[in-house]
Amino acid sequence: MTAGAAKLEVLVIDDEVQIRRLLRFTLEEADYAMREAETGQAGLSEVAHRRPDAIVLDLGLPDLPGLEVLRRLREWSPVPVLILSVFDQERSKIAALDAGADDYLTKPFGSGELLARLRVMLRRLRSAEETKSMQFGSIEVDLTRRLVTRDRQPVKLTAREYELLRLLIINRGRVLTHHQILSELWGPKAKGQTHYLRIYMMRLRQKLEQDPDMPRYFQTESGVGYRLVE
Amino acid sequence: MKTINKPSLRAYLKPRGASVAREYLEVSVAIAAVTAAGRFVALDYPAFGHIYLLAVIALSLRVSRWPVLFAAVISAVAWDYFFVSPKMSFAVLRFDDSLLLGVYFVVALVAGQLTTYIREHEKLSAEAELHRTLLDSVSHELKTPLSVLRSAAEKLGTDDPDKRASLAVEISLATGRLDHLVGNLLDQTRLESGALKPQLDWCDVRDLVNAARRSVEGSLAGRPFRTTVPADMPLFKADPAMMEHAIANLLLNAALHTPAGTPLFVISGVEPHRARVFIAVADRGPGLPAELRGVLFQKFRRGDAAHAGGLGLGLSIVRGFVVAQGGEVVAEKPPEGGARFTIYLPYGRHGGVPNE
Repeated sequence: MTAGAAKLEVLVIDDEVQIRRLLRFTLEEADYAMREAETGQAGLSEVAHRRPDAIVLDLGLPDLPGLEVLRRLREWSPVPVLILSVFDQERSKIAALDAGADDYLTKPFGSGELLARLRVMLRRLRSAEETKSMQFGSIEVDLTRRLVTRDRQPVKLTAREYELLRLLIINRGRVLTHHQILSELWGPKAKGQTHYLRIYMMRLRQKLEQDPDMPRYFQTESGVGYRLVE
Repeated sequence: MKTINKPSLRAYLKPRGASVAREYLEVSVAIAAVTAAGRFVALDYPAFGHIYLLAVIALSLRVSRWPVLFAAVISAVAWDYFFVSPKMSFAVLRFDDSLLLGVYFVVALVAGQLTTYIREHEKLSAEAELHRTLLDSVSHELKTPLSVLRSAAEKLGTDDPDKRASLAVEISLATGRLDHLVGNLLDQTRLESGALKPQLDWCDVRDLVNAARRSVEGSLAGRPFRTTVPADMPLFKADPAMMEHAIANLLLNAALHTPAGTPLFVISGVEPHRARVFIAVADRGPGLPAELRGVLFQKFRRGDAAHAGGLGLGLSIVRGFVVAQGGEVVAEKPPEGGARFTIYLPYGRHGGVPNE
């Protein structure tokens, strides 16, 4: 954060007062301003009035299901949303991500991880559509010239492999669900054809990872999707 | 080793899994056998009454209340028909015969009630014992990390930064332990409630192993770890979350039961006849104690050497998850030493991938 700039504001919507207190501690220490709401309704009107920079949303709220809050929010606001939940079932993660959540953390979560996810979400907000290149490990990707190098040597990727890589790069740090990737690359008819993804991901890892069997950058979110981490 | 099912009267009294229909069949066969045998022995008919009575009491030790009563009725009918003169017809009984028959029914009824009562009591006390053991270990396993958290929180006021750092480590270890415990209790409950339906999806074994390994990273610290995946390892259908938990539980189990610093191996592949894929977790520890064979995958069973405690749910969950996906899990003592747990899953080819 540059000195003098207004603090970024995070709205926490969670009915557990102890979670809110700890989040306040964590967020304020990391130099964010935090606002809080106890219910889904209060959260929605807070978003409308205050226009926070990011939202941390609990799925188990007393008045509205968190997923419903997310859907209503997405009708008019693109604000980044990080879901917090005790539900660790893949189904509920996928539902939240497909409904427009930017990321998902299950309780109990670590504060370091929460801040890392928040940083990724906010950076994406600032640099949306501006990603021109990315570097990870010995790999450099130049999206304007469609050029991928490894140790400065060009890497040959097929058109689909490159599309997958590009999609992961513009969403880097963020988990993309199988459904999101499949419909982006193969169209809506490819829904459920997860073996396409497994095979393409295996090929990408073979070409771009140091140890394809233990990938560092192209990470799998079990049962949910993939994430490119730096 | 926690022993919950002590050898009991129950096991003798009632063969496991006997259905009601089987009990009725058993009763009919026994009475028919006694009747048939009686045709070849020259005895007075009151003596046969006593032999039937003996048979019914013997049956009451094995079968439940209503089949015993059924045995009493058919044996009385058979007795009257075959042995009371005039034979081969239903005779009108004399007073002392009727008395014998009356006593006979009362004895059969009382015997049936009593043995049923004993069996139910046995079952209840076995369940009560199971609950007690479970409650004991749950409270131990939950309260230990909680007391760590509580005392660490109180001592966080210290000014010594080194102490604060080590308190933070303790807190994080305790929460990890609690998290794992709660997760296992939830998994076990989901398995038992039948609410768990596997969401089968194409899986890459590397993803499953990596995710499992990451989730128990802290417990594997300082151990050499090697994964072997053949280059032509196919994708297979499984529930990724279940597989991740199953492999993680196997890794954790291996870590708990083998000396620190000893290596762990994950070996995967396809069976030679290519009907199943396998994922094995092997260690170089002391191997499996012989007395644990056969009960390894039962819940609340723990090996003595499990220095870090636990509820004994890990392997039971592994089996539950694997079976739910149509596979099986096997524990072996491989020739190279240590213990090896292998998960087998059915696999079929996936459809083609569109060309570019």
